[in-house]
Amino acid sequence: MYEGSVTVLENRPIAEGIFSLTFATEGEVKVRCGQFCMVGIAGFPLRRPIAVCKAEGERITVCYQVKGEGTAALSRKQQGDKLSVLLPLGNGFFVEEGEKKVALVGGGVGIFPLISVLREYAGSKEIFSYMGFRTKAAVCMRYELQRGEHLVLATDDGSEGYHGTAVQALMEDIDRVRPDVILSCGPTPMLHALKSAVAGRDIPVYVSLEERMGCGIGACLVCICNRTDGSHARVCKDGPVFGIGEVEI
Amino acid sequence: MVDLSVKLCGVELKNPVIPASGTFGFGREFDEIYDISVLGGVATKGLTLLPRLGNRTPRIAERRGVILNAVGLQNPGVDSFLKNDLAWLRAKTRVFANVAGSTLEDYGDICKKLDTMVDFIELNISCPNVRCGGMAFGIKPQSIEEVTRIAKENCPHTPLIVKLSPNVESISENARAAERGGADGISLVNTFTGMAIDIEKRRPVLANNTGGVSGAGIKPIAVRMVYEAARAVGIPVIGMGGIGTAEDAIEFLMAGAVAVEVGTQNFTDTLACPKIIHGIEKWCESHHVEHVSDLVGTVKMN
Repeated sequence: MYEGSVTVLENRPIAEGIFSLTFATEGEVKVRCGQFCMVGIAGFPLRRPIAVCKAEGERITVCYQVKGEGTAALSRKQQGDKLSVLLPLGNGFFVEEGEKKVALVGGGVGIFPLISVLREYAGSKEIFSYMGFRTKAAVCMRYELQRGEHLVLATDDGSEGYHGTAVQALMEDIDRVRPDVILSCGPTPMLHALKSAVAGRDIPVYVSLEERMGCGIGACLVCICNRTDGSHARVCKDGPVFGIGEVEI
Repeated sequence: MVDLSVKLCGVELKNPVIPASGTFGFGREFDEIYDISVLGGVATKGLTLLPRLGNRTPRIAERRGVILNAVGLQNPGVDSFLKNDLAWLRAKTRVFANVAGSTLEDYGDICKKLDTMVDFIELNISCPNVRCGGMAFGIKPQSIEEVTRIAKENCPHTPLIVKLSPNVESISENARAAERGGADGISLVNTFTGMAIDIEKRRPVLANNTGGVSGAGIKPIAVRMVYEAARAVGIPVIGMGGIGTAEDAIEFLMAGAVAVEVGTQNFTDTLACPKIIHGIEKWCESHHVEHVSDLVGTVKMN
């Protein structure tokens, strides 16, 4: 576990309200796809949980949406500034040996942890990506998204690519592609839509959840979600990736 | 070489720094990051007789300088703690079992289960986030005395620390009430009841609507309350409320606390407690203080 100071290498907008932040750790950190980090911003008591998008040795890239005062302050950090960061956190995405064809379904900022999946598995797996955005101006990280076999960009307003949602785009292809596993991250309504769309099909689906967090390591029980058996799971420690039938979404 | 050890109710702690209840679980997760045997003790997640699932999410919010939480005492129950966690934790450091209940009988029963098993029992009569439990007992001096007496009758062999709420009329009177009820020590302050509103949704951020306010912003109020409580009683005081640095911890010691608890800062920096311990040692060295306990209650009023 890396706990400590990192140096900002780059922090720039990549779409409206979305920033890409690259920082350098002191020494290499191994991060699995789908894991996240807690980013501390001076003056703010809570660190922000942000999915890791790229991990290249000591260079870690995360992408975040400016939503409040904390992320606004983060967006003003410049090259050379220091942040305090804890990583890698959470379980991450796993693709089993026998699973050759992987479908990724992402929406909004949910595309960023899926980019880490593309970076880890492109080449060894056939990856079919369905990435949803509000509109053309929100599309970002095109180069990274193209790493798989096939990419469908979907926009709610039809201004680019498929006119509709990422889930609708997946369902148009699903019988032809026949994925062995589906990995997804995005807003709750998208995860709901995915759950009902694939119900009855014998395809394992894993989703990465988002929740307000305290410690980020499983101690404070702030970021719980309900398991379908009635118990609670910690999104930060037991997740953030869960089987879609394992938890209530 | 600074002597960081302190004596609390006759029990020695290797230093006066204890992570506060609710921010540290039973210590296992933090122990993956650093060896928690460096700590003076650990105040456990609040325990109840039966497992509790707690409140809906969101359970946490942030405002300038503070956070609000409303976890609602999610915990696996005291029996699970005794079976699965206590031996491991006790091998590491001193255990402050934080306990909560909904009725006087609950408090008695849970104290009976823990008596002689742990180093201290910290009686949570000040949790603002559960409807019938906790704070109902922690507001009025009479009920504080009553719940303390029943708890103490059931844990005659274990030092009983009563954790006081700051949401009260007179902290001195409440501290004295705990002492009269038989408390071996008091700890304060628990969180202040507060609310944060999402102005776009026109709804409270927390699912529970209100929550406990903690963090740097409450520290001056907590220091004042610890000072007042420490002057009011003859039993030892554990101080807490917004401690983020060694200097903050030293303020509480000077105000009259024998030891301190660190809560919110564990979220800001998982290494907060070891850093504070180290910082206290450095401060004592540079100020020629040989025993950290020499600092306790040394503030001189203007």
